Amino acid sequence: MAKAFRRRRDGTIAATLHVEEAQLLRSLVGQLLELLADGQARPSPPPNAASAVDQTLAAALDLASPEPPEDPVLHRLLPDAYRDDADAARDFRRYTEHGLRDVKRHNAEVVLASLADLAAPATGRSGSGLVVVLDGDQAQAWLRTLTDLRLALGVRLDVHEGDEDRWEALPDDDPTRYVHQIFGWLGWLQQTLVEARVAQRGWRR
Amino acid sequence: MSLVMNAAVLNAAVLNAVAPVELDEPRADEHTIPDSPWVTIVWNDPINLMSYVTYVFQDYFGYARPKAERLMMDVHQRGKAVVSTGSREEMERDVEAMHGYGLWATLQRADR
Repeated sequence: MAKAFRRRRDGTIAATLHVEEAQLLRSLVGQLLELLADGQARPSPPPNAASAVDQTLAAALDLASPEPPEDPVLHRLLPDAYRDDADAARDFRRYTEHGLRDVKRHNAEVVLASLADLAAPATGRSGSGLVVVLDGDQAQAWLRTLTDLRLALGVRLDVHEGDEDRWEALPDDDPTRYVHQIFGWLGWLQQTLVEARVAQRGWRR
Repeated sequence: MSLVMNAAVLNAAVLNAVAPVELDEPRADEHTIPDSPWVTIVWNDPINLMSYVTYVFQDYFGYARPKAERLMMDVHQRGKAVVSTGSREEMERDVEAMHGYGLWATLQRADR
């Protein structure tokens, strides 16, 4: 990777990506969007389903399935809110899952939009580097989408704390090892973005 | 010891010998008893970065960095941490927000 996220003097956050890296991100985010699109066949709840009448209507329309997703990745992206109360967890999911999916899809779309319009670096180096520039809102969306991507990959890979030996032991040409490297790269990308964002917000380190 | 002191000692002894007075149970007045406290718990996971978890606590709850870091270390080392307390409704909002950030959180009644 050419350059990780950093805060620039003008207050924006920028990273320089190789073309392949930008393509990889677009592909991953696209897959995330597909994953989060499941279950959208049902009608959306009214915009402010706060009143009892609205909630009754929403329940009658049988919105989000109250059951947790069977796909472990989706389940981790849309986790249970109650550990020991399945009924409460179902109610919570019924009323909040759609909104949570929408928020995650929106963040992913912000990331795709910022990847759609990349400029070559002003330094004029031989052009394999593309500059991504983010304002505060875009940085927030990137943080959350990078998290979602890492959760998705992490669950698929079944990562555990302190499991580096397992990955080191895989042969170099093992595709799982490649996916784990992508998982690591996303973590590095996110780490630098967190640091740049903290700097952007003027929070003491 | 004066006579007054002896009387006080005697009275105290008598009082202690009597069975403790039963306090009446407070009446369940719906208008004054607050919603029983609930808590939001964030659980450790092997994926989220420590720096990101700290960031979330600062960003959403507005905690100062030292507190956010302490909570993050609690999550990391103890497996979980209570990150907020309040009514059930407030905790549901916090849990939903945590899920939006990609953290795993649940709510439950505060321990007695």
